[in-house]
Amino acid sequence: MMRPRWRKIFHDLIDNKMRTLLVVFSIAVGVFSIGVIAGTYVIISNDMSASYAANQPMNVELRTGSFDSTLVDTLQNLRTVQAAEGRRVFNLRVRIPGNKLWTTFDLVAIQDYSNIEINLLRPLQGSSIPASKQVLLEKKALENLNVPIGSELEFQLANGTLKKMTVAGIVQDQTSGAGDFLAPPLAFISMDTLKYLAQPESFNRMYVILAQNGDDPSYLNELAANLKDKVEKNNVVVYRTRTARSDRHPMASIVEAVIGILGAMGVLILFLSSSLIANTLSALLNQHKRHIGVMKLVGGSQGQVFGMYIVLILAFGLIALLLAVPLGGQGAYALSAFIADKLNFNLTGYRIVPFALLIQVVIGLAVPLLVGLLPVLNGSRVTVQRALSNDLTQDTGTKREVSPRPESAFEKFRQRLMAGLARRGIHLPRPLLISLRNTFRRKGRLALTLFTLTMGGAIFIAVFNVQFSLNQYIEQIGKYFIADVTLDFDTPYRLKDVELAGLRVPGVQAVEGWAYASAEVFNNDHTAAGNVTILAPPVESRLVEPILVSGRWLQPGDERAIAVSESILGLFPDLKPGDNLHLKINGKEADWIVVGLFQFVNQEGTIAYGTYEYISRLTHMANRSFSFRVVTTDHSPEYQQAISEELDAYYRSQGFHLREARTGLSTLKTASESLNILVIFLLIMAVLTALVGSMGLAGSMSMNVLERTREIGIMRSIGAGNRAITSMVIVEGVLIGSISWLIGVLVSFPITYMLSSIISVAIFQSPIPVHFTFEGFGMWLLLVLALSVVASLLPARNAARLTIREVLAYE
Amino acid sequence: MFINPKSVISTNPQSHPAQNPLVELRDVFKVYQTAAGDFPALNNISTQVYPGEFLGVIGKSGAGKSTLLNMITGVDDVTSGQVLVHAASGTVSIHDMSEDDLALWRGRNMGVVYQSFQLLSMLSLLENIMLPMDLCGLYRRTESRERAMDLLRLVELEEHAFKTPNLISGGQQQRVAIARAIANDPPILVADEPTGSLDSVTADHIFAVFERLIAKGMTIIMVTHDNNLGPRFSRHLQIADGKLINGNNPLLNGEQP
Repeated sequence: MMRPRWRKIFHDLIDNKMRTLLVVFSIAVGVFSIGVIAGTYVIISNDMSASYAANQPMNVELRTGSFDSTLVDTLQNLRTVQAAEGRRVFNLRVRIPGNKLWTTFDLVAIQDYSNIEINLLRPLQGSSIPASKQVLLEKKALENLNVPIGSELEFQLANGTLKKMTVAGIVQDQTSGAGDFLAPPLAFISMDTLKYLAQPESFNRMYVILAQNGDDPSYLNELAANLKDKVEKNNVVVYRTRTARSDRHPMASIVEAVIGILGAMGVLILFLSSSLIANTLSALLNQHKRHIGVMKLVGGSQGQVFGMYIVLILAFGLIALLLAVPLGGQGAYALSAFIADKLNFNLTGYRIVPFALLIQVVIGLAVPLLVGLLPVLNGSRVTVQRALSNDLTQDTGTKREVSPRPESAFEKFRQRLMAGLARRGIHLPRPLLISLRNTFRRKGRLALTLFTLTMGGAIFIAVFNVQFSLNQYIEQIGKYFIADVTLDFDTPYRLKDVELAGLRVPGVQAVEGWAYASAEVFNNDHTAAGNVTILAPPVESRLVEPILVSGRWLQPGDERAIAVSESILGLFPDLKPGDNLHLKINGKEADWIVVGLFQFVNQEGTIAYGTYEYISRLTHMANRSFSFRVVTTDHSPEYQQAISEELDAYYRSQGFHLREARTGLSTLKTASESLNILVIFLLIMAVLTALVGSMGLAGSMSMNVLERTREIGIMRSIGAGNRAITSMVIVEGVLIGSISWLIGVLVSFPITYMLSSIISVAIFQSPIPVHFTFEGFGMWLLLVLALSVVASLLPARNAARLTIREVLAYE
Repeated sequence: MFINPKSVISTNPQSHPAQNPLVELRDVFKVYQTAAGDFPALNNISTQVYPGEFLGVIGKSGAGKSTLLNMITGVDDVTSGQVLVHAASGTVSIHDMSEDDLALWRGRNMGVVYQSFQLLSMLSLLENIMLPMDLCGLYRRTESRERAMDLLRLVELEEHAFKTPNLISGGQQQRVAIARAIANDPPILVADEPTGSLDSVTADHIFAVFERLIAKGMTIIMVTHDNNLGPRFSRHLQIADGKLINGNNPLLNGEQP
């Protein structure tokens, strides 16, 4: 048989189920959030880079003109190179035969599928070696074209010819597109198929794994420059150089930063839930004052009472752990699997993360103990006299309260306000007045409830503001992609020819040719520092509206001048407008003046803008270009899509070797979509904080109602009906909700700035301008009002159900 | 349990119980400080209670009788004066003990019964009676259960042992409260208006229980506002305006008899 004192604790646990559930859920929400975040962090930081490294990722990628296996052998024989492999990568439009919708794929031709040493392919389904006129689809390609193995796909060549190929298998390439949200889906073919697709049977990509120090970024840059030199000495043009560490997924730091942000929110949720626990426990101890008095009366010491309530808190914690630990483990794995799927890497399998488990157990037990310590200590110290003062025979004990309590400042303010309103003939309804007064009766409890609800609301609003700011920023970045349609040709064309042809298509307003160059940047000591991609629109182009950070934009007459994106500061932290950068373009080295720095997404490496007039001369492409921008009369995505298809058909019909016509907004759309994933995570956390907040309100309202049982009974005995009692409680809840909204609005401003700064630095490496949207403020107002009503409904119903007999029986 | 040595006056009480008091109040004053000024609730009370007595303290509402009882139980502090208890374990000065020491001492030496029963509603009657034994640790678990059943038998509620207090009548609850008060076999039982909220038949049952306890050698101090109950006590004191005014007590208000 259980000892009576432990029997009492057991009853305390099970008799008031609402209160137990409230405390257990408050603890469980915090433990769950921390469990999910900690578990995800451990799983992702282990598996992401391990999965990436297991596929032997390249250290250096050179995008070049055509070369053959001799050059591959040359690099392979270098002492510094462990493996070198040539591939041909080109893009084609593809569709399911008969379907109108085209998708662009990057087709990768590999020489020997049975002997791939770099960027390994993992067979998922069907064959892993494509025969001639067969294609292997990368897993991600199925998101665009979900076709079964054996089905045929239609590819459109530059000259408009349609070629059919059979899908032979599905593979996963975790490395090729890693780190590039904007990379098109991949499809793999054999070298034999190149001729069928009218492609030269040569390579245009060189992949290299270094023999050593593949994890050292500065060594990688140095070796990449050496390799580039080697390739160029073999008369092969290098368009772009990319380096990547072999031990770390290119997205690892971003993902870790995002999980870090989620972790911070998890800690906040824990913090909020602990204030909720503190609130409920101090109410519980208050309700149990009489029990404590009785126990002390019959021989219970302070230590025994303290021990009993500590055990009760531990029991709350244990139940919460039973609930939150398995859910947290599942949540962590589900979140990791979601991230792994989005970033195309594999998890090593479901597992329980000991670190996450430990942290959950510690938090689940320690946090309630910590926040409960003070109420329990105060509760166990209560004297028999104080504990039983309401129930002891009121012989002389009431003499202490012979004179009224001194009025508080708040009470004086309330009275003045009421008197003022009355003088103006404004008489608030009596139930509203009671609700108003009730709201402020338990000021400590009100403060804790407001704090929880306010923080939940402020984060909710902030997440909306951050999402809005990110979208505004993407829109700003879109100012670098103002063109409605971008045309890429396989061969360079005279500007006039492309322009005249384009203007014949109804709806086209202007066509302008852009030049490109890939530049190598050197340090002062002439060691290679990195690469810069230079885009060169005509100097008076209106298709770029840069966000300048310092200096100016390009002007007519600018020669050997560039405006460069802020990410260059990663290489040259002290660089400012007016300084020179030593660049090598097309084998020619020269000092270039930096006229300005602008803001841009840094994901794609450093980009710079030069003038078409100068760069086209430097690259021997004066008055000609591979790439053109088209401006149309209507800028809607639908119109852009329609006219890009029209332009595609028209140029091909006129004999132009068009590779691709794509809409200006498509790039932007992909970028926003990837950001939306992040926003969804943030919203989930915001909803969790809001949930904790409303649980706090529900708990407070239940406690208020419970403590006012006698009062409610008296009101009932003098004629208050169910409706009056219910509305009195609900109005109080709504009042608290409204106050929390007002404070939440104010608090949301600093939180928006903080959250936006952390996220934008993680993603864009620099803070972005903050914008505010009414959406978050409005939605939270509606939500908090709805939550207030819902949170007060049950306590209100309980209050309305109380009969006078029950009130008399109330302890 | 550790009791502050200062509170233990002597460990050798005098051997003749008929002549040596069990409870002794010496010059007890209790003044409540209110905004309207000091309110003297007890004014220089000195009296003695002897072993085996059934002492009644009778007074009107506000006379100070419950305050007097709270001084004896140590539930409230004295303003000045002393309350001494010469128990078998030694003489203790109630108000020199710490709250914690006093709780354990009271649990073992002094049972308290209130008008409002003060039973814990979540525990069965049996568990309510076992609670003081559990908290004071005087009995083993099986022993305390048997003893609690015996006590329930004593108050004629054995068949309700496993019910919770809200399922029995007020009179029955008061009998359980008495059983709980004597659970650790204390020499003294203090009762504050134990029949105050009961009808006369039920009140008679309670008195019957008290009389049975007196017969077993227990000392009972009971407070009541009902003058008619005077003859049922072995001795009674009248209290008014915080002073003992009458009664068959040899020592009244510090005066020699």
